Amino acid sequence: SDEEHHFESKADAGASKTYPQQAGTIRKNGYIVIKNRPCKVVEVSTSKTGKHGHAKCHFVGIDIFNGKKLEDIVPSSHNCDVPHVTRTDYQLIDISEDGFVSLLTENGNTKDDLRLPTDENLLTQIKDGFAEGKDLVVTVMSSMGEEQICALKDIGPK
Amino acid sequence: MMQQQGGSADLAQLQSTMQAIEFACSSIQMHMNPAAAEATILSLNQSPQPYKACQFILENSQVANARFQAAAAIRDAAIREWGFLTTEDKKSLISFCLYYVMQHASSPEGYVQAKVSSVAAQLIKRGWLDFTAVEKETFFYQVNQAILGIHGVDVQFSGINFLESLVSEFSPSTSSAMGLPREFHEQCRMSLELDYLKTFYCWARDTAVGVTKSITESHSEVPEVKVCTAALRLMLQILNWDFLYKTAGTKTGIDVFSPGIRADSSLSKRSECTLVQPGPAWHDVLISSGHVGWLLGLYAALRGKFSCGGYWLDCPIAVSARKLIVQFCSLTGTIFLSDNGQMQEHHLLQLLSGIIPWIDPPVAVSQAIECGKSESEMLDGCRALLSMATVTTPFVFDQLLKSVRPFGTLTLLSTLMCEVIKVLMKNNTDEETWSWEARDILLDTWTTLLMPMDGTGGNALLPPEGINAAANLFSLIAASELRVASASAMNDEDESDYLQASISAMDERLSSYALIARAAVDVATPLLTRLFSELVARIHQGRGIIDPTPTLEELYSLLLITGHVLADEGEGETPLIPNTIQTHFVDILEADKHPVVVLSISIIKFAEQSLDPEVRASVFSPRLMEAVIWFLARWSRTYLMPEEFRDRNFNSGHDHEYQFRQLHSRKALLSFFGEHNQGKLVLDTIVRISVTTLLSYPGEKDLQALTCYQLLHTLVRRKNICVHLVTLDSWRELANAFANDKVLFLLNTANQRSLAQTLVLGASGIRNSEASNQYVRDLMGHTTNYLVELSNKSDLKSVAQQPDVILSVSCLLERLRGAASASEPRTQRSLYEMGFSVMNPLLVLLEAYKHESAVVYLLLKFVVDWVDGQISYLEAQETAAVIDFCMRLLQLYSSYNIGKISLSLSSSLLSEAKTEKYKDLRALLQLLSNLCSKDLVDFSSDSIEAQGTNISEVVYFGLLIVTPLISLELLKYPKLCHDYFSLLSHMLEVYPETVARLNSEAFAHVLGTLDFGLHHQDTEVVNMCLRALKALASFHYKETHAGKIGLGSHTKGIKDQQGNLQEGILSRFLRLLLQLLLFEDYSPDLVSPAADALFPLILCEQDLYQKLANELIERQLNPTLRSRLASALQSLTSSNQLSSTLDRMNYQRFRKNVNNFLINVRSFLRTM
Repeated sequence: SDEEHHFESKADAGASKTYPQQAGTIRKNGYIVIKNRPCKVVEVSTSKTGKHGHAKCHFVGIDIFNGKKLEDIVPSSHNCDVPHVTRTDYQLIDISEDGFVSLLTENGNTKDDLRLPTDENLLTQIKDGFAEGKDLVVTVMSSMGEEQICALKDIGPK
Repeated sequence: MMQQQGGSADLAQLQSTMQAIEFACSSIQMHMNPAAAEATILSLNQSPQPYKACQFILENSQVANARFQAAAAIRDAAIREWGFLTTEDKKSLISFCLYYVMQHASSPEGYVQAKVSSVAAQLIKRGWLDFTAVEKETFFYQVNQAILGIHGVDVQFSGINFLESLVSEFSPSTSSAMGLPREFHEQCRMSLELDYLKTFYCWARDTAVGVTKSITESHSEVPEVKVCTAALRLMLQILNWDFLYKTAGTKTGIDVFSPGIRADSSLSKRSECTLVQPGPAWHDVLISSGHVGWLLGLYAALRGKFSCGGYWLDCPIAVSARKLIVQFCSLTGTIFLSDNGQMQEHHLLQLLSGIIPWIDPPVAVSQAIECGKSESEMLDGCRALLSMATVTTPFVFDQLLKSVRPFGTLTLLSTLMCEVIKVLMKNNTDEETWSWEARDILLDTWTTLLMPMDGTGGNALLPPEGINAAANLFSLIAASELRVASASAMNDEDESDYLQASISAMDERLSSYALIARAAVDVATPLLTRLFSELVARIHQGRGIIDPTPTLEELYSLLLITGHVLADEGEGETPLIPNTIQTHFVDILEADKHPVVVLSISIIKFAEQSLDPEVRASVFSPRLMEAVIWFLARWSRTYLMPEEFRDRNFNSGHDHEYQFRQLHSRKALLSFFGEHNQGKLVLDTIVRISVTTLLSYPGEKDLQALTCYQLLHTLVRRKNICVHLVTLDSWRELANAFANDKVLFLLNTANQRSLAQTLVLGASGIRNSEASNQYVRDLMGHTTNYLVELSNKSDLKSVAQQPDVILSVSCLLERLRGAASASEPRTQRSLYEMGFSVMNPLLVLLEAYKHESAVVYLLLKFVVDWVDGQISYLEAQETAAVIDFCMRLLQLYSSYNIGKISLSLSSSLLSEAKTEKYKDLRALLQLLSNLCSKDLVDFSSDSIEAQGTNISEVVYFGLLIVTPLISLELLKYPKLCHDYFSLLSHMLEVYPETVARLNSEAFAHVLGTLDFGLHHQDTEVVNMCLRALKALASFHYKETHAGKIGLGSHTKGIKDQQGNLQEGILSRFLRLLLQLLLFEDYSPDLVSPAADALFPLILCEQDLYQKLANELIERQLNPTLRSRLASALQSLTSSNQLSSTLDRMNYQRFRKNVNNFLINVRSFLRTM
């Protein structure tokens, strides 16, 4: 079953959403795709299939976007999909009424297509920081076609 | 009496207090408003002089719990107010309690009686050093009268119970806290041991002897049984006392070299079994009075009654009697005369004859238990054997039984244990049954008998019959272990059952088995060889036909047993070949016929078959391979290329012929796997097997971890092995695969780190320094080149986040870290260059991976380990470069992380993020500590000052970068907290002048954390903060005394932005420390360090101290207490000729003063 992961990713390696990686090499705090969702690994344990069988890895992952817990068991010599997770910093310019943010990219353009999180808690943290007039840099995490603000950093008063 | 003193007290008042307490007690029981109820009870405890009310409740209340609480209140109040109670008050309180206990001896609420009894015991102890002998006699007269039985059985019972509480109160491990220094408890213990313990024992004995007749003669349970049981319990408790003060003339009694009985100094370490060593003064009571005979007679009589009503095997009196008998088995030391141990042998023989019916004949005993008889008597019999084994040599132990049976004790021990193992094999369950417990006790007995007694490695020799017994037992053990293994092969539930866990769980048992096997080594070794070859043959015959799993599991188990028999663990040292194995095979003259060689070779040959892919696939399962690797590691440590054999002890002794043969066989064994014989060949095989496990078992982390951490580490630990290692093709193949083979990049990163370390350590086998540095460069060159190239890529930012690149970078960082931690003077140069060449790339990568905490952590850890290995060797210029790099690293890290908030929907991801931050910070603190060490250990040729580097400033600067990242939240991680405060206190102690130069904001931050640390619950942390405080204050005091500015403006009060006056820091801490010492809870261990900090603080801030002292006095309204406090404060700073210089003498005096001061005043200050 692991054969299907061995497609060659030649020219557009950077654009590939996931990479194959041997299950045994995936560590806690790394990433893994479980049930087609990008997850952060919070727990890895190994066991054997029968006393004298081969090792298998038991992963507990947390969906990096929605925080849901997912689990998977894979023979440790087989490959898993590892998501390509990128994080980019932008300066926060504005928060619009309709739930979008306006971000300043590195080359001076603006990025206006990112929605604010719907979770009240996260929303307040961003809005409060912005309202206090701090200069905020937001880190946007993107993977497998989704993106989300994952961190805020105060870089001094405006 | 106090009642009369307070005669005017209002009866109604007492009544209402009683009702309030009764109400509170019943509401607690019914869970109604428990907080209020507790408050009511607490207010009784804390009110001044509540004795009258308490006594009233005890005498009048119908509610048992209320009486219980009243007793507790008497205890608390009296201990608190002890200092200002009159002697009469104290005595009357104790008499009241004693009288009460005797008066209500037949009360059904035993727990109230026990409480009052223990209150009496505690109060007697509190006043023990003040009461005169006559006063004590008065109390004990009352008790003795009770014990004599004049007032009936119940009172007798209460009297014995009281003594039990008293003895436990005086024994340090069970005493209650009284807010007094340890010396007090120690003095009480000594006084009781020397003056009273034996008397109490005699009272208990006389009581028990007195009631024996009525017990043995009646056919059913009589009330005296209760008294007898209590007396037996008290005797047991007294024999459990840790006798320290063996009365005058002790020394003369000790005969360290007595042949029969073991000297007590070596005994204590050998067994868990507590020894009873009361000293010669107890001889008359315990030995010469026929006491043991009476005890055995009593139990024998009870045994006869087990069928009668009221008595059974586990009835309290039988249990107590058996416990006391077992306790007598561990009696040893100077209580026996030095008569070559004859008296002790006689004593043990007497006991053994009494115990024999409990365990002999073993078959009948075990059958009876299987049919439902209670096992407790049999287990006690086993315990008695264990105790006897602890106090005798194997020879004496074996002889004991010979006078009453045709065989020795060892034979009985062996038969008994065989029987137990058969039962274990029959009902193979996971439940802890009696046979488990019996096996463990008996195994301990064997271990105790067979453990090498002293450092010389001389094993205790067994008599021939004992050797046979051990051989029989071992073959049964081996058979049973294999059977268990094969039966468990298929159950797969136990997922965590991997090698390391099963070894450590079984390790103790396996080492005991090994001792038994070695005791009969000439039978055990061929047996193991035979079993092994049978299993191997079976597995090959059945290949492809039958499921090999049960056989694999048997092989697994057999490898573990064999590993333990052949070699010791060593715990980091190089274990020698076990002495029994070295000396035993005298008739073997040809090395390749030596049973140990034959066994070793058969296992190595088997392991070698794993190199064949086909055999590997069908036979060598990962789990079996784990056992193989584990065995090879353990075996290599002892047998592979051992230190050259030296002829020692050869010229002594008379039996020349025997000695010569022994020597020859020893030499044959030692040299067979030596450098000039088979050693190199075996080494090559082992390396090839290691390469196979790393390359051909993809994803088997545990197996690979064993290979890296145990086997390969073992090989490079010894230089004489390294010398050969680096010349082997197989080793070069491994090094080459490490640098180039993609498969090794798939190893767990921690295993790659270990492999890098191992390979670099191998360099110590290369003769010249240039060649070894070149070897390291070749090994690590690829790694550094890759990182340099990666960091130079223009599209690094996007490439870096690709998962495959992250994986490579992580592997390479771990490899660098492994190499860095293998730093040795010989290879220091190349490892410095290795780190130097990646300095800038690392800073670039830190930026690229600032959001990838897993990579950042690996990067920091590499730098920590690299600096740790290098710093002390670096020359001034290199030091400057490394320091500059570290500071840039710290600054970059800080700039990426300060003020950063992670947002996530998942609370566990948020807490992961916090943990990652904690780990990073801990690494940064370690880095700073490593830099600090340059000032302590420096091998460089010139002073680092030459380059204008000042370590203290560097580290302070670093600390200032790091501290803002350390929130109080993060200090809740104990390790981080510990690291932070140890660094801080080190800095303040060693470089106070640097801290004085900090700007006020930074200074305030540092001291803010000190403030936090002082209130930490970990005493170690508080202790470090106190040390830091002492350093600060004494620095300031000394400097200002010498006319310098010291801490300068930091000590002055300033107005903050709101215009409030903020105190200077020393004033603030003086206030804080006094508050802490007087009013808060802390461990008594902190009093001395607190005194050390308080002393210079008082000297620095004398005016403030006077003011605070006056405030304290003025707050005290009660005139007596007020004057006590004033004089205590007075003597705090004046007694013991305290002067105002900060030297050792004065610090000591002040410590003493603080101790006295606290004992004097803390109790009443805290309750007001």
